Amino acid sequence: MSGGVELVRAAGLSKHFGGIFANDAVEFTVEEGDLIGLIGPNGSGKTTLINMLTGHLMPDGGEVILRGRRVSGRPAHFFAAMGVARTFQLTQLFGRMTVLENMLVPGLTRPHSHWHAVEKRARDYLEFLNLAQVASLNAKNLSGGQQRLLELGRCLMLDPAVLFLDEPFAGVHPQLRDELLKRIQELHQSGRTFVVVDHDMESILRISRRLVVMARGRKIADGPPDAVRTDQAVLAAYAGL
Amino acid sequence: MRGLHVYILLAVAAVALACVDQLNSYWMHVAIIAMFYGILAASWSLLAGYAGLFSLGHMAFASVGGYTSALLVKWYGIPIPLGMAAGIAMCCLLGGVVGWVCLRMSGPYLAIFTLGFAEIIRITFSTEDDVTAGMAGLHTEPLFHTVSRLPYFYTSFALLAASLAIMGWIVRSRWGLFLRAIREDEQAAAASGIAVARFRILVFAIASGFAGLAGVFYAHYIPILTPSLGGLDLMAVLVVMTVIGGMERLPTAVGGAFAVEFLLELLREYGQWRLPIFGVILLVTMRFARNGLLTPIWLRFVRLGEPRSAAPPVARDAGQEDSRA
Repeated sequence: MSGGVELVRAAGLSKHFGGIFANDAVEFTVEEGDLIGLIGPNGSGKTTLINMLTGHLMPDGGEVILRGRRVSGRPAHFFAAMGVARTFQLTQLFGRMTVLENMLVPGLTRPHSHWHAVEKRARDYLEFLNLAQVASLNAKNLSGGQQRLLELGRCLMLDPAVLFLDEPFAGVHPQLRDELLKRIQELHQSGRTFVVVDHDMESILRISRRLVVMARGRKIADGPPDAVRTDQAVLAAYAGL
Repeated sequence: MRGLHVYILLAVAAVALACVDQLNSYWMHVAIIAMFYGILAASWSLLAGYAGLFSLGHMAFASVGGYTSALLVKWYGIPIPLGMAAGIAMCCLLGGVVGWVCLRMSGPYLAIFTLGFAEIIRITFSTEDDVTAGMAGLHTEPLFHTVSRLPYFYTSFALLAASLAIMGWIVRSRWGLFLRAIREDEQAAAASGIAVARFRILVFAIASGFAGLAGVFYAHYIPILTPSLGGLDLMAVLVVMTVIGGMERLPTAVGGAFAVEFLLELLREYGQWRLPIFGVILLVTMRFARNGLLTPIWLRFVRLGEPRSAAPPVARDAGQEDSRA
């Protein structure tokens, strides 16, 4: 843990689909300044947890606490307004809108935002993400890696306190993956808080300060990467050792 | 010269207004009806084209607006403008309620739901003879006590211009951006901070209000109002107009309404065969230019007067891509 202010807390979160528990009383805290790698085998409940922590899914049990406030059941736009941003496992962009328009949308949802100021900020972020040259292209025409970068940029336009990135490296060319990693590290150093879900262990280990491991809907480990990597429960869950 | 297309449109409108008294009564009537459909097509474009809410209940709102105004004027003797305002308000309210009820619906589910709503309205107006005079038609109070159609022409022109100005302002504002984002991906829109439910209800209420505006004008222009105004036949005509013109832009939707209405009259000698002709045009549009036949023309038109190098190449690509999408 980073020892910062608590931003988001999953307090005994549970979710089941039919008879299957996707999340079973999960306890999980994100503190200011964290860069957490959330890992686990397929079907371990990582995305379900993110969906509940960002207002996209209603928990069946437990509470989502956001800056000390109970917010379970609130809509996703409320979470966004409270500074919780997210990307999706399968990139979800506004495909037939331009890259710049994709960036403007979250920026303009902020209260008292002015179009010109938001557009300037959007162009700055596009520059930072190396997307400035494609600003007027429709988002659906970008490459997979560029789409991931744009989704990250869209999150940044919310000026979020915490970003949940769901499999940001999936299907991304190694060169663009390195760029994405670099951007995440730079943003983290500038004070952003991240929770990154991915199966790409190499990438996760390169950037994470804390690893949380899930298996069968439960959190089985939480701590510094070096300690978690040698945890017997993690080895058993991951490699069947 | 940027914005040349605006000056051209203003000049054409000025010439049309100056020369309209040269039209005979029949073609003036066609022009008035084209403008009536123009308001409906633009507002349906706002709902279906911008927000992606494919409602088949739009003509039902025109019918509700028309009957509300006509009945209030007939029974309570209130001034016609007040009756018209009440009709529009009723449509906004009802549109908001329908938008709220079908919040979680989209695509075919929304289309079927709104189709059911439209049929309920039509059948209610048909069967409540004592109130609406049923299929015999309700005799309505005319907006102007004159045999000339000229005042109706100017009124419909003003209503269309005002509707386009308001809807144009909406689609160019951040609301327009949010509506398009909702159309593209509701989940991503919510994650971006858009109150999706609120905007869906709002756009339903606004579009229904404009349908009501068209309906109240129609009710006090055509002296007999029948429930068929809200029927599926006219809804199909409205969809054909908007889709052929281009449903993702207000001017192309209005252009589609004008083109179809005037062509329907020009092809009148072919009787019922003119309808299959439009069916074929619709099929060709869906196959080769899904974003409407008028969209490429409009995109070229709005770039008139701009130096070639200033024309954004990406926008041109995007326009071409839209038609393939």
